[in-house]
Amino acid sequence: MNIYLREMKAHRTGLIWWCVGMVGLVASGMAKYDAYQGAGVSIEELFATVPKGVMVIFGMTGFDLTKASGFYGVLFLYIALMAAIHAALLGSHLISKEERDRTSEFLYAKPVSRSSALTSKLLAGLTMVVILNIATLLSSFYFVDFFGKGESITADILILMAGLFLLQLIFFTIGTVAAGVVRRPKAAPSIATSFVYLALLVSYLVNMNENLDFLKYLSPFKYFDAAILMADGRLDPVYVALSVVIVVLAVFGTYRFYSARDLTV
Amino acid sequence: MNVIETTKLTKYYGKSRGIVDVDMTVTEGEIYGFIGPNGAGKSTTIRTLLGLIHPTSGSATIFGKDVTTSGPAIREEVGYLPSEVFYYDDMRVIDLLRYSASFYKKDRKAIEQRIKHLAELFDLDLKKKIDDLSYGNKKKVGIIQGLAHEPKLIILDEPTGGLDPLIQQQFFHLLKEENEKGATILFSSHILSEVQKLCDRVAIIKDGSIIKVEQIKTLLENSTKRFKLELVNMPDASAFAIEGVSDLALVNHSVSFLYRGRINEITKMLAGQDLIDFLVEEPDLEEIFMHYYQKEDVQ
Amino acid sequence: MNVFLRELNAYRKSTVIWCASLSAILLIFMSLYPAFTNDVTAAKQVLEQFPETLRTALNISLSSFFTIYGFYGYLLSFAILAGSIQAMNIGTGIISKEVSGKTADFLLSKPMTRAQVVSAKLAAALTIIVITNVVFAGVSYLVALMVATEKFAAGTLFLLASTMFLVQLIFLALGALFAVLIPKIKSVIAVSMPTVFTLYIIGTLGDVLGNDKVRYLSPFKFFDTTYIIKNVSLEGKFLAIEAAIVVVAVAASYIIYIKKDVRASA
Repeated sequence: MNIYLREMKAHRTGLIWWCVGMVGLVASGMAKYDAYQGAGVSIEELFATVPKGVMVIFGMTGFDLTKASGFYGVLFLYIALMAAIHAALLGSHLISKEERDRTSEFLYAKPVSRSSALTSKLLAGLTMVVILNIATLLSSFYFVDFFGKGESITADILILMAGLFLLQLIFFTIGTVAAGVVRRPKAAPSIATSFVYLALLVSYLVNMNENLDFLKYLSPFKYFDAAILMADGRLDPVYVALSVVIVVLAVFGTYRFYSARDLTV
Repeated sequence: MNVIETTKLTKYYGKSRGIVDVDMTVTEGEIYGFIGPNGAGKSTTIRTLLGLIHPTSGSATIFGKDVTTSGPAIREEVGYLPSEVFYYDDMRVIDLLRYSASFYKKDRKAIEQRIKHLAELFDLDLKKKIDDLSYGNKKKVGIIQGLAHEPKLIILDEPTGGLDPLIQQQFFHLLKEENEKGATILFSSHILSEVQKLCDRVAIIKDGSIIKVEQIKTLLENSTKRFKLELVNMPDASAFAIEGVSDLALVNHSVSFLYRGRINEITKMLAGQDLIDFLVEEPDLEEIFMHYYQKEDVQ
Repeated sequence: MNVFLRELNAYRKSTVIWCASLSAILLIFMSLYPAFTNDVTAAKQVLEQFPETLRTALNISLSSFFTIYGFYGYLLSFAILAGSIQAMNIGTGIISKEVSGKTADFLLSKPMTRAQVVSAKLAAALTIIVITNVVFAGVSYLVALMVATEKFAAGTLFLLASTMFLVQLIFLALGALFAVLIPKIKSVIAVSMPTVFTLYIIGTLGDVLGNDKVRYLSPFKFFDTTYIIKNVSLEGKFLAIEAAIVVVAVAASYIIYIKKDVRASA
């Protein structure tokens, strides 16, 4: 419990900034919706005929931007990107900080096992991931409603946030396992965030070219594609299962590697 | 000639006190001890002299040059060993020492040779990665990088932590050698016996101000001696009621007291005692030091 | 010179990795170009039906977009995103490392002024960025030669590639500034990542949503590919803004670094 509280406290300011940033992103994004409505043309049909690769290059992925929901759909990719970076940094920092700050000698000379310390840290991380998710959820409700003029997309937002949560978990645990495996404490955050960047890159590649569709399993961003989630109204069980497998493996790997290796002092 | 001279040197970190009005003069060729408890301002003074931090007011010169404006020229002739050593983890010992040498104008070959010599003296493996060294060995790297260029002024901030007694002795020996060759040494410590062993003069610093500067000799001479006696019979307190005796303690057959005054008076008294054992000690700097501190507190 | 060489050496491995990754991004994306050209004919017809307002909002310039320049310009935005992270990491890391690694006592007690230390470090950082860009531009040209279906002007391609250098320069300077402004940087990437991605998101969102003013806020939007392709030049206004940002950030870094107290590392 002491480690859990210590971590919550250590990351408090950072978390507040991330939440502020997230609310800012949602607010400023939705504020633009007002300006956009003027176009007045339903472009959904027009877009339907454009080849996929070309569409992506315009930054359009099949959303009707005259609707608040479509607008929010575009926004979601960036929300997801931000949440993913937060989660990856958080996961890798939580685990590697003791070695980086040379406090590992202090901590592990105390009567705690590495795995119990790890459990506290993972729980602290989970709490913070949830907090950021809730901040996103509430600000999304508020601003979509505020600018949306009556269009109710509560269900859409809930589905998207569920997807976001799984996405956060994936990158959080990728961060922890990276820090668990790597000996150099400073390398862990770089590795974790390169995964985010790679996943983003892969998701763009998949969007651009139908022949690369098989790559979608490599990018968590594709698991929770806003357009598909909003159209289906539910999470794809295959992707959910895949996410769970990744998270479980990563958590398992974190315990396994971190408990087994020599700590840098 | 004065190597270091500070005038009303003052440093505040925001509102918290570092040092206040420090006046200090270190003359060429002396080993100057700088002593005080943790947080008294030793490191602040040293870091100001090195230009690592900037004084709030007052001034300081080294070799007659102002520390705030002539930093590089001064540091050309200064060797510094911080209290805690941290170096680049990715380097081997020799890489770090060569990197250090590359900053000085002195002949590279001479420095290189001296590095080899010192490494041998301290039994330090030059090929090891710094990351793999023990703390004591890192400290040795620190000593070598500080002394390799044969600086005219050696500044040591609590340098002995982490060194075993044998190495410490070699280190002190080396410092004395450097001193004989003409190097001036500023040596800060909170361990009094170290300063006692090495220094010519000592400044006592407390709460950011220097409260006393004294020759080590005078400091020791002017003071009391401690007597410890072991008697056959139970001692009689009245026998020790002589002027100059203080801190008298009688425990079973043992007597211990401090005496300041003519030694003859004491020997006369001792002649009348039936002694088993008898010991006279130089009071260590610790006792003198406490004496100064207490006096300061009373004022 | 010693500090300069030491820093180049310290960043050698990471520079190789960055060059390789950026080249990989180029290769992967450019290999999609042939498939993309097939889509283009169909797309052109559709897009021409779009209302004019919408097209401007989307910033589509039909004539220039479906060329190798347009395609390269698109993938460039990802390379620049990665390159910005590299530049900011170097800028922040190279300046803050002595404090975070507690080696400031060692380095700053050597006979060098702090200005000389900063100059050596920034020169090393700039050299690394230049090397990265030379490699990047070279690989761009070669890959373009491989995939291009028709002749293209190398000058336009290199001009596009140069925007990577310009954006990196901004993030290098911002990184150096952050390194002296933030008292204790424990993790460089925790500083660089949020900064780079925040500016990226601002820029891209502004783009998608058609807000022109956002261009001034995000270095990623300073140099518009469509404009470059059309005019074969960079926008002078943004070059001036860039120069101002870099000069101010670097100058401030020097001033703060020189004035800063280096407190005991314990």
